[in-house]
Amino acid sequence: MAQVTVPVARPGSHRLRRARSRVPIWHMLWVVLGALFFLVPIYSVVEFSLQGILPGQNVFHWYLTVFDDPNFRSAFWLSVQISLETVAASLVLMVPTVFWVHLRLPGLRPVMDLVSVLPFVVPPIVLIVGLAPFIKSLSIWLFVRPEVLSLIYVVFALPFMYRALDAGLRAIDLQTLTEAAESLGASLPRTLVRVIIPNLRAAIIGGSLLAVAISMGEFTVASLMGFNTFSVYTFDIGMSTAYEGVALTFVSFLLVWGIMLALYLLGRGGAGAAAVAITDEKK
Amino acid sequence: MTTVALRGISRRFGSVSALDHLDLEVGDAEFVSLLGPSGCGKTTALRIVAGFEWPDSGEVLVDGQDVLGKPANKRNMGMVFQAYSLFPNLTAQQNVEFGLRVRKQNRETRAKRAQELLDLVGLATAMERYPRQLSGGQQQRVALARSLAIEPSVLLLDEPLSALDAKVRVQLREEVRRIQSELGITTLYVTHDQEEALSISDRVAVMSAGRVEQFGTPAEIYSGPRTAFVANFVGTMNKLEGKVVSREDRVVRCGPILLSVPDPTFNHQAGETVELFLRPEDISLELLSKGETPPSGLFEGRVTSLTFLGPVTRVGLATDLGLLLADVSSAVALNLAADTVVAVKLDSTSLRSITA
Repeated sequence: MAQVTVPVARPGSHRLRRARSRVPIWHMLWVVLGALFFLVPIYSVVEFSLQGILPGQNVFHWYLTVFDDPNFRSAFWLSVQISLETVAASLVLMVPTVFWVHLRLPGLRPVMDLVSVLPFVVPPIVLIVGLAPFIKSLSIWLFVRPEVLSLIYVVFALPFMYRALDAGLRAIDLQTLTEAAESLGASLPRTLVRVIIPNLRAAIIGGSLLAVAISMGEFTVASLMGFNTFSVYTFDIGMSTAYEGVALTFVSFLLVWGIMLALYLLGRGGAGAAAVAITDEKK
Repeated sequence: MTTVALRGISRRFGSVSALDHLDLEVGDAEFVSLLGPSGCGKTTALRIVAGFEWPDSGEVLVDGQDVLGKPANKRNMGMVFQAYSLFPNLTAQQNVEFGLRVRKQNRETRAKRAQELLDLVGLATAMERYPRQLSGGQQQRVALARSLAIEPSVLLLDEPLSALDAKVRVQLREEVRRIQSELGITTLYVTHDQEEALSISDRVAVMSAGRVEQFGTPAEIYSGPRTAFVANFVGTMNKLEGKVVSREDRVVRCGPILLSVPDPTFNHQAGETVELFLRPEDISLELLSKGETPPSGLFEGRVTSLTFLGPVTRVGLATDLGLLLADVSSAVALNLAADTVVAVKLDSTSLRSITA
């Protein structure tokens, strides 16, 4: 009769495993240092924002003051509006362009790479000095409207949006998916909307998050063009009341993180799944 | 009823000629394979039929109508690709329904058709699965179902099994053939795997350097290669070089041995150099006792190698005709070892002559 030997775990073997899997102290030190680098300033901000309160006032006095200010709400909503417009304009402009370059004009990719980094090279102050008269000459109506900021922020967001989409398209077999859709009768626009974009969700969300972060935080152009965006308002408040300004800074952290989290949650599900399937090895 | 004809198709990529006046006719409901090594132009030819490439010259006729003016999405040709091409964001059912959705079929029709086709490819229980939840073989089955859903006039398959492991490949190729026969759909299949092409095709076009070297049934291709390329590419061949001694008697001298070549296509002048081809299975061996000389009509050979291939063993032989390969039953091969001296017999009825 055949004997079956079942390996029995020796007492203390899990302790051995734990000892093996224990992270070396040096590794932990770097993690702690990294965490402190980010957390200490945030803690300082929170701590400072709870000071300077008179006896009898609410501990969150400066926060309540900020929220009660109608200028805060209008500045915040203006920035949200500009951010969403920036994201929409960036996507409308970049998704079909990058798709087309990848699919039909791969030779243009180095040019796109170069163009996409130009906003890094040209400082915002230089850009606005050149752009403002140009936009003014095009349309005074546009020049005084906040939408003009969205158009400028599209340029600022270009490197991030392009890189995200470029990486997303490289991760999928664009040629095969497009040809498969075409062989089934789909036109290129339909292929883009029904097949490619759903599989680029992660890249689109990533690019959009960065575009939101840029639009919400941009100060130079908004200030020079005279728009009271969230960052301009924060700066003004900080100049007049330090405690309120710092409270506002922390609120702005929370709000931007909230928007980013919302966009991230929106992009969860299909996007990650798609990327996994495409890079899946043969089974 | 659908027929496909490629007439004088040429296509260059820079200085490289991918297709050079390619001619090919595919009959109604016929399964034709384009077989050839990498770079021979077989995939380019298929992509031209599909509408993903355009030829520099020539025409592609489907039922006598030139389709080169039509974009790929208007040709109604189903295609299965070498790479996994299922849309990752859609389930198996939604993938199969994709082409029907494009054609604005209603929900019930789409669902019914998807069910039928996934049933046909043996995946009726995987309708709700996403591509990442399917194995490679299952993904290619769904891709096949998806391409059939649109009731294509022609089915195009571009090395659809090459990414799969050997066992799944054999199983799936038989299913492809079964489904093609059941539906009676005109099919063009690209492969570099000769076994695959010979086992499932009605006819095989062996391609080299952008041209069809030979077009015929699998048996014709295997038994009667007309060019040295086909002889060398399809299966394993022994090549014997010799000079024609007599045209009338079809006698060729290979080294010290005179061979009679009954090949009816033999048409060479005396003194002409020819190449004779013979398959390993057309060579048989007889064991010789020590000091024994081979019987008349046979010649001596010394075993140089033995390669076990399952039911047969491939024996390498050093002979007066050069190195030869012979396939013998593995049971017989048990009596052989390196340096064993054997009598070698050629089945001259299988000798094929090609001008060198």
